[in-house]
Amino acid sequence: MNQSTLGLLLLVFLIIPPVANLMESVMIIHMHMQMPLLIIAGFLMGKFFQMRFPRFFEKWNNNGIPGVLLFIIIMAYWMLPRTMDEALNLTSIEIFKFISLPFLAGVPLRDSWRKLSKFGKNTLIVLFTLAFIFMGWLYINSPIQLCNNYLVIEQIILGWGFLTMGIGLIVYLGYTFFVDPSDYV
Amino acid sequence: MIKNRNNTIASIIVLLFGVVLFFFGTDGFQAYTAETARVNQLIDDKPIFPEVTLEDSNGRTYSIDEFKDKYVFITFLYTSCATVCPQLELNMSQVYDLLPPKYIGEDIVFLSISFDPERDDPATLDRYKDAFNSDGETWRMARVPDQSELESLLEKFGVIVIPDETGNFAHNSAFYLVDKESRLIDVMDYTKINEAAEKVTQILENEGGE
Repeated sequence: MNQSTLGLLLLVFLIIPPVANLMESVMIIHMHMQMPLLIIAGFLMGKFFQMRFPRFFEKWNNNGIPGVLLFIIIMAYWMLPRTMDEALNLTSIEIFKFISLPFLAGVPLRDSWRKLSKFGKNTLIVLFTLAFIFMGWLYINSPIQLCNNYLVIEQIILGWGFLTMGIGLIVYLGYTFFVDPSDYV
Repeated sequence: MIKNRNNTIASIIVLLFGVVLFFFGTDGFQAYTAETARVNQLIDDKPIFPEVTLEDSNGRTYSIDEFKDKYVFITFLYTSCATVCPQLELNMSQVYDLLPPKYIGEDIVFLSISFDPERDDPATLDRYKDAFNSDGETWRMARVPDQSELESLLEKFGVIVIPDETGNFAHNSAFYLVDKESRLIDVMDYTKINEAAEKVTQILENEGGE
């Protein structure tokens, strides 16, 4: 089985209503498991689109920037507290979630990542580190309930999840900055 | 060169898409949480207070028509709540004190509605009201005994109540203002006491001038 099929199967699995409902019942799983898995599904399927439409990516995403911008926009959109609520209450937004995350975030990330320079990659990671730390701070300290469908305690757990991810990214950045893998060959 | 131009064009298209997406996703950069969107929507829709039976702390039952030709200042609560509700009611009592006394009971009535009818019987509400100096007449506390009526009211006014495992409820809180025709005309931030009092006073004064 090639990875594009794997990606498609993963997407189908995530869309199955009982699976989707279960994952969406817990805020942190909704945001930090379901959504990333959707992006991963798109990332895996990216191969198929690259082989099918090589000229399209070559022509319009030659330096990787447009793809990365699209990825950032979709990520930012799904970080709004409102969109997560609406995905639960409005079917149209729920459908948009299952389309936008794999195809408008996962696929372009796949195509862009290789084309980015080391500097570009690290800039992207720094950007998301800052965004995650900000989101963590927001969710932990928000005096109000940001999402109507989830309890405040879940919001705080999600905040710590964001901070943990931010810390993980900082560790990675420190590693790439200080450690030269060729020293250990 | 051509490729660079294509990249730029593609980037611009993507950015435009982003602006459009965020514009529609946030009602024109207005509402970043579903709660803000909900409140804006309510103020636009102006829903009518539905026909439900209220039972107050004195055991009297009536519908919203009891307050016909009066404004009604409403909050939703449950008395076993230890977190937001006491603050909400305390703030409500301050709004009550800030309004010019001549309007109280004449042009405006305060009403706290419990969404926990099982536990909040008239006796419980009666005890609770004393803690906030509510007189039970110009500021009443009531429950909606019928569960389906209660749900229709909460739905209409966009009050979202989620029971948690410990017998408590998570819920959104606000001051609701209903006009003389039982229409919801404003949803106010319950933490901004002075702002709410000024707004209500203004509405009552305008009404008197007509």
